[in-house]
Amino acid sequence: MERTLSSTEILHVDRPFKLDCGETLPDLDIAYELYGTPSDDNVILIEHALSGDAHAAFYQSGEEKPGWWDAMIGPGKAFDTDRYCIVCSNVLGGCKGTTGPASTNPATGKPYGLDFPPISIRDMVDVQRTLLTHLGIEKLKCIAGGSMGGMQAMQFFCDYSKLCASFISIASSLKHSAQQIAFNEVGRRAIMADPRWNEGRYYDQVSPEAGLSVARMIGHITYMSENLMQEKFGRSRKDRNTTNIFRPSFEIEHYLDYQGIAFVKRFDANSYLYITNAIDNFDLLTSISSSGRTRGVGRGRGDIQDMRPKKGLVITFTSDWLYPPSQGREIVKFFNALNVQTSYTQINTEHGHDAFLTDVGIQTKIIRGFLNSM
Amino acid sequence: MSTLVTRNHAIIEAWVTNGARVLDLGCGDGTLLDALIRRKKINGLGVEIDQDKIIACLKKGICVHQTDIDQGLSNLDDMSFDYVVLNATLQAIHKPYKVIDEMLRVGRFAIISISNFGYVQNRLHVLSHGRVSEHIRFAGDWHDTPVIRFVSITEFMRSLTDMGITMTDARYFLPFGRISIHPPLKDLLVKEALFRLRRG
Repeated sequence: MERTLSSTEILHVDRPFKLDCGETLPDLDIAYELYGTPSDDNVILIEHALSGDAHAAFYQSGEEKPGWWDAMIGPGKAFDTDRYCIVCSNVLGGCKGTTGPASTNPATGKPYGLDFPPISIRDMVDVQRTLLTHLGIEKLKCIAGGSMGGMQAMQFFCDYSKLCASFISIASSLKHSAQQIAFNEVGRRAIMADPRWNEGRYYDQVSPEAGLSVARMIGHITYMSENLMQEKFGRSRKDRNTTNIFRPSFEIEHYLDYQGIAFVKRFDANSYLYITNAIDNFDLLTSISSSGRTRGVGRGRGDIQDMRPKKGLVITFTSDWLYPPSQGREIVKFFNALNVQTSYTQINTEHGHDAFLTDVGIQTKIIRGFLNSM
Repeated sequence: MSTLVTRNHAIIEAWVTNGARVLDLGCGDGTLLDALIRRKKINGLGVEIDQDKIIACLKKGICVHQTDIDQGLSNLDDMSFDYVVLNATLQAIHKPYKVIDEMLRVGRFAIISISNFGYVQNRLHVLSHGRVSEHIRFAGDWHDTPVIRFVSITEFMRSLTDMGITMTDARYFLPFGRISIHPPLKDLLVKEALFRLRRG
């Protein structure tokens, strides 16, 4: 089959961008991909999770693997590119083209590192609003994402409700629980405990690969259900090293090792710190009801009340213990209270949190059904 | 089965007021809510446990929650609905008292249909075969039928009194497709009944 090619574009915004924390970025790059031609009722904004990027679907030239949600985006797929125009952008604070801590600070000519200001999920969606304006998009049929992508979808839907007809939140939460913050904190500590991290100043040296790979290993443990991990790896061993008993030996050790190493090649340690910090600080209720909401279009409580004809869809997975179904039900309750007609479905699966990437068939049926009805 | 359901739907539709908020427990593929949305302009929500039926509802644009009714309706606020419907589902409920109680917590009126086990044909079937009919079991075998509750009209009414619930309207389905409001020998002659209930 012939491969459809896609490419990541960069929008450079040459004006200051004010952040939630009060600080300002002097300029901004936004990396995005666009599949299709936008019209008034065909645009779907896709939001990526912690380690994702703008390259959501299709193949970039020379690529072996397609974009991160290619199984869900394309002709005849859940987000059908024959019917809808799909936009996806890399988040603020990321390292795949959008401005983040690895970007050059115009004031110094060097990478920001820890001089990069703290960012929030609200800042991420503000950046996306800027992108949409540039693309001439004033209406969204839907805004959808899993995990952190779900948080952005909900935040965008609340902050710019006049733009959005619906949202889809998959395996996500209104705010992190203590356990979720705890896992993120261990990841951040692993990075900061690596001497190569050097207070975030490592861009001209070897990066804190050991710390970042441990952070990723912890992540992968939480993305998988206990049953699936047992079934996939059990106690089987790849090899038994007699000279160094602490080298990886069990299959699960090799798997985590592989995931950790693969991750450091494509991700920036400081981005990991900034983005997980934004996730932990996310609290949708506080964010939409705070009095300091002065920026952006359509901010304020009045706008939230304008939500009656709008729709939401919340999807959870039975074996997802990182973002458990109970958090999905909280989301439903929250949006029903705002008069958003929010449906809830819980997919029976053993694939844990990763199911939003792997359980394509059932999600396709659900999402196509939901989108077709609008 | 399907004619029974549509007949119930017609009565429920007549009971429900225009623009009401309606919760349908065990809403299936959303046929009832779809009709009520189109003809009565209701604000509807369905609750269903089966994934395929959930998808059927989403296709119709119906708002639906995938929930086990027996786990309660804790996600729904007190008095957030005008009518809460439990049509052809009561016989599959593990904790009927809890569910009826929840229905009248979240809604002003409950609309419940029951299949009368005391109906003469059911009695005769038990007498001649020594077991309940396949019609009662929805074609399931004794160990896998969803139908686990067998109740007669009088028993059900006594339960309502126990729970402090008032019947505000009722329709009784008799043989030969006849419908009555005050039938004689209820326990014997009624096949199925539809009640509209409220607390107190």
